[in-house]
Amino acid sequence: MKHQSQFSDEQQSRQAGTEHQTQPEAAREFASAEEMLRYDAKQTAVPPEIARRLQKSTGDLPGPKTAWWKRWLGGGQ
Amino acid sequence: MHEPSTGCEPLTGPPADLASAAFSSLYAENNRAIYYLALRYLGDPQKAEDATHDVFLKAFRKLDQFRGEASHRTWLYRIAINHCRNLQQAWHDRHVFANTDDPIWDCAVANADSPLRVLEIKELGRLIQKVLDALPDEYRLLLLLVADEELSYEQVGMLTEQSPDAVRGKLHRARKAFTVLFKKYTDSNHETPKPIFR
Repeated sequence: MKHQSQFSDEQQSRQAGTEHQTQPEAAREFASAEEMLRYDAKQTAVPPEIARRLQKSTGDLPGPKTAWWKRWLGGGQ
Repeated sequence: MHEPSTGCEPLTGPPADLASAAFSSLYAENNRAIYYLALRYLGDPQKAEDATHDVFLKAFRKLDQFRGEASHRTWLYRIAINHCRNLQQAWHDRHVFANTDDPIWDCAVANADSPLRVLEIKELGRLIQKVLDALPDEYRLLLLLVADEELSYEQVGMLTEQSPDAVRGKLHRARKAFTVLFKKYTDSNHETPKPIFR
């Protein structure tokens, strides 16, 4: 039975809410829960979709008009 | 904190270009912290994405109201915590659970200072989520906030509406609970935890 093979690593990672950067797998020890969470946070990628959605949302509102998101998305000034 | 009357007024205060630059910087410096809190508090990547978007949109609308009495990070965390709690409450109102089990860490013997070992680092995110999901909301939030090195115990206390001493006391219990559950799940490997609902 290979039902689970329908799910790619990427999908499984997405399910877990993490998109950890590729790195050699190794056992690791953490001194505390906070240290583990700190490590996990650093490894967790923020979906770029959030910045894109904010670009649209803030563009629909009166207020700052400068394209702040361009700098964040690396689209230039 | 004042609520905007409609959320659609033009920003007052700094000129638009300065406000925009400020928001850009706000996002760049804090998006990871806010997304991570939402992700691990809500336990769902899509909800976390939506929540992070909504939190920064609220911040954008309220940018002119930020008076510098707290750090930007603390201000954003406060918006995020309220937002996530509202989401949790709305979800909880639709799903009634009865759980009479005693938390397993209450009677467990565990050294909260003993190291946590993980054999497969790629499984870490899943494992952490599993443990956090089984913790009471209060412990989960406390651990996530204390893990942010930019926050002091005083700031964590402000965000969770308790004294720094209370934070320290509860943090000890939260660490123990996390450790007990983490070891339980890594040892037994694959037993599904029963969430504790409040």
